[in-house]
Amino acid sequence: MASFNHCLASLARLSLTAPARPTVTSTIPKFLLPTASPSVRHAYSSGGAGMRKRPKKRRQYKYFKTHDLSQMEQFSLCDAMRYIRAFEVGRPPASVKYEVAVKLKASKGGPVVRNRIRLPFPVKTDTRIGVICPEDSPMFSEAQQLGAVAVGEESLFESIRQGNIPFNKLICHVDSQEALKKANLGRILGPKGLMPNQKTKTITKNLKATMQDLIGADDYRERDGVVRIAVGQLGFTPQMLSDNIKAVMAQLKEDMQKIDENHVKTLDEVVLSSTRAPGFSLDGTFFPTDENLKPEDLQSVM
Amino acid sequence: MVNVLRRLNKLTAVIPQLVRLRNGPGAAMLPQDVTRIHMEFAHRINQGHMGPRVFFREALPRLKYWNPAVPMVVNRSYDQSGPATLTLYFREPGATLPSDLPQPSSSTQGLAKAPAPAEGERALTIDMKNRRSEAILKEFMEKSGAVSVKMSPEDEAIMREVEERERIGAIDRERIRKLNEAAKREKQMIAQAHSEAAAIKAAL
Repeated sequence: MASFNHCLASLARLSLTAPARPTVTSTIPKFLLPTASPSVRHAYSSGGAGMRKRPKKRRQYKYFKTHDLSQMEQFSLCDAMRYIRAFEVGRPPASVKYEVAVKLKASKGGPVVRNRIRLPFPVKTDTRIGVICPEDSPMFSEAQQLGAVAVGEESLFESIRQGNIPFNKLICHVDSQEALKKANLGRILGPKGLMPNQKTKTITKNLKATMQDLIGADDYRERDGVVRIAVGQLGFTPQMLSDNIKAVMAQLKEDMQKIDENHVKTLDEVVLSSTRAPGFSLDGTFFPTDENLKPEDLQSVM
Repeated sequence: MVNVLRRLNKLTAVIPQLVRLRNGPGAAMLPQDVTRIHMEFAHRINQGHMGPRVFFREALPRLKYWNPAVPMVVNRSYDQSGPATLTLYFREPGATLPSDLPQPSSSTQGLAKAPAPAEGERALTIDMKNRRSEAILKEFMEKSGAVSVKMSPEDEAIMREVEERERIGAIDRERIRKLNEAAKREKQMIAQAHSEAAAIKAAL
């Protein structure tokens, strides 16, 4: 009974209040009047009562995606070189590089392959080394003798801050490690990949060995499951390129074995490319398929 | 480097690119007595350097593919008023040439001038200035005695498939373009109606 009374009361209140509101009196048809809520719907607004869209949960993949390569057309080294030399004809040979991209079957996250290699036939010949070491030590003159383009501690930091960076490799002696930390140069050197670091073996006790190691050597690292490295200049003969690629693959194999058992990495694909040519998936063989072509034909002047 | 999925598809990216390299203008076998080729022209196209550049981009890669052992050196300079020449070097009948002829490699700074013919070699020059690439190629074929390579049936089949794919793609593109345009038009009309309604409301 009580609820019925409640109901009545509320009804009475409604009938009392309703006429109190002024009614809209106009000649404009109702459908043209702007509605209270805009009829344009946004992706994020609710479509209706209880129909709220949640952001779709995306599947997280543990491994970098690899594809079935059985349908991939693969090339012997000489065939790939023949095509690449045709695409690069007439270009200055020193400016064109052969490069390989080695795709690994690898998990996302975890340790990555990262090392330095000295190729049998070096690709880069313009290594300019900067050395950070105490200025009044015998190491200072030693570094200069070994051909460093910039040596020093505070003076070198100052010139780096001013944007004067004449080197493309920077190493640091252990004795200057603290000074380097205080100098706060990470913001300048970090993006250029020049910051000395224990991991890249650029903080060292033996300057001589490190510098000799750096000259003609090339760094590589795995990014998104792929290791990319330049392996030759356009003027290289097939044999030289083959030696370089073999050296890279042998060292990569060692690197992959060193990584712990939880992150097993295996080889997926090796692609040879160059500055202007498309990528050629290599099948691991050397000799050309065309019997009229000899490897010696691929070493003429470009 | 091209994405792996595009490389996996035989009708996109790499394979048609290679078929086009194997065939087309300039796909020709040079006779045995052609020892080397030298080209000289300027970087930009004005003052008659358009034809040589097109020849360099279109025909020379194909020639290099079919004649991998023949050195083909290109010397480009920034001097537009300079010459545009193609030099063909022939071995004299019966002569044997040393395997390491003095030969500059290609340059973009005008440093690789055409070398004088060695002993037992003769040179033949084609003037390329102010000429179209087709005319240059025609003269090149006549003077060098090169033989055009016929397209292989496999390559023909691939190109037919590529063209078919392109034909179907064009139909699809047209269909999608119409759909997109209709959607855009509708959106525009709604926006216009809204703005008119707002104007009427403001006028009240």
